[in-house]
Amino acid sequence: MTISWLQAIILGIFACLSSMPGMGGTTIGNYTLGRPLVAGLVCGIVLGDVQSGILVGAAMQVVYIALVTPGGTVSADVRAVSYIGIPLAMLAINSYGLDPASAKGIGMATSFGAMVGTLGTVLFYGTATINLVWQHVGWKAVEKGDFKKLYAVDMVLPWISHIICSFIPAVVMCKLGVPVVETIKTTLPMDGIAMKTLFTVGSMLPCVGIAILLKQVVDKAADFVPFFFGFTLAAGMGLNLVSVTVVAGMFAIIYYNLKMVGIKAKEAALASGGSLDDDDEEDI
Amino acid sequence: MAEKKLSKKALNKSFRNWYYGNLTCFSQEHMQTFGYLCAMLPLVEELYDTKEEQKEAMDTYTAFFNTEPQVGAMIVGITAGLEEAKANGNEDIDGEAINGIRAGLMGPIAGIGDSLVVGTLIPILLGIALGLSSGGSIAGPIFYIVAWNLIITFGMKFLYKKGYELGGKAVDFLVGEQATAIRESIVMLGTMVVGSVAATWVSVKTSFHLVNDAGKEFLNLQNQLDSVYPGCLTAAFVIFCWWLMAKKKVSPVVTMLVLVVIAFVGVLVGFFNPGLKY
Repeated sequence: MTISWLQAIILGIFACLSSMPGMGGTTIGNYTLGRPLVAGLVCGIVLGDVQSGILVGAAMQVVYIALVTPGGTVSADVRAVSYIGIPLAMLAINSYGLDPASAKGIGMATSFGAMVGTLGTVLFYGTATINLVWQHVGWKAVEKGDFKKLYAVDMVLPWISHIICSFIPAVVMCKLGVPVVETIKTTLPMDGIAMKTLFTVGSMLPCVGIAILLKQVVDKAADFVPFFFGFTLAAGMGLNLVSVTVVAGMFAIIYYNLKMVGIKAKEAALASGGSLDDDDEEDI
Repeated sequence: MAEKKLSKKALNKSFRNWYYGNLTCFSQEHMQTFGYLCAMLPLVEELYDTKEEQKEAMDTYTAFFNTEPQVGAMIVGITAGLEEAKANGNEDIDGEAINGIRAGLMGPIAGIGDSLVVGTLIPILLGIALGLSSGGSIAGPIFYIVAWNLIITFGMKFLYKKGYELGGKAVDFLVGEQATAIRESIVMLGTMVVGSVAATWVSVKTSFHLVNDAGKEFLNLQNQLDSVYPGCLTAAFVIFCWWLMAKKKVSPVVTMLVLVVIAFVGVLVGFFNPGLKY
């Protein structure tokens, strides 16, 4: 498998669209095209192997299932994960002759993705820094009352930042990828310590993604119970993800109804002139 | 003086500008400020006739702004309503008051948006999509693309409209008791789905086993662990990463490096072996 200039250029354009802050906008760019699963489809179509693309994308998606960027701090850059990491992982898997659906294929894909994604944060800060120049142009325009220029500042000029920080890196990395992957292959044999470590790390990395998500929702030990409930349904009882969603949906409805009974009871008590002297009640 | 009313066309244009441009010109200094300016421009141009009035109104929105952009559409809607009231000569509302409301909302809305949209809705949809894409099927990504864009586009449109119509009261939609109950149920659903994603897609396995003199295996640690609780090594690693990041305040990148060290040592002592061969 090789990547032609045309293929690299198409991947480069998608890198511009998909990053945070991407030119495809937040909803369509970052949260659709930037998700590794969707990018797997795109890379698969561009490189002519849709099935491997999706398998590699799905493997990486687990690592980045909750890419929350609170206050604009990033721990991994989606354009790098999705449009540099996936094509390179596809090349490597192909070159090593691995089955992308196997545990080894997944391990390879996730280690590649995490490596590129972490290095890619440089691209995020690069884009944001170059955007300062356009914002400076914007402030001048606001001062002069030349408001129409704001559209160019917000939606056109940042393309230049992206050509520098998304397009060129993606094209160069995808083109350089082939010889680099070949070099890695000859210098690091599959049964050596380095490759064993790489694949083991690859199988562990998704834990970080899941843990980032848990950090959001778990405050006390009891909050772990829904997580282990879902875990047990799949690992212990062998349900697939869609079935788990249905079961979880049932529990969510029960929880909601229980909560509402409490709220309604409180309202009823208030309406009947009940003397609830709880201070919290005042703001209803 | 006739009552000024924002036209549907201007509101739609404002929404579109926010929908697309909320983060396109992002910098660490002014994150979503320019997206906000672009969203307000069509409204300001319609409400005020003279350049001076327009400039004065736009100056309000030059202040720093950053929130979760999808749920944040509601804040843009609220300021659209406030700006309209201000243009109609409501004395209580001036630029400073609008900025106060805006600044007061962006923190809480970011919290709700991050946990509900990025932390729950997207993982649920991706979890289902991952389930559908087993074996490399395109059903998974297609499901995610369609479901996410439909839900979030209509959702943002709804929040923008509610914000415009109800003003500050719109926030009750998000923080009222019923809204909180709905939110908590959805988060619970999401946590369960994520648990099953971890069990289905993450697999940390040990190759540790002991053989007796006759070369017969008498201990296979992985099988032993799985008979206690299936997938318990995977679960243990998830909890370990959570503990590092939530309790020890270690960054995700450093957590990944810790895993590299564990994997390296584990491979050396024979605890981990991915069983690679040509």
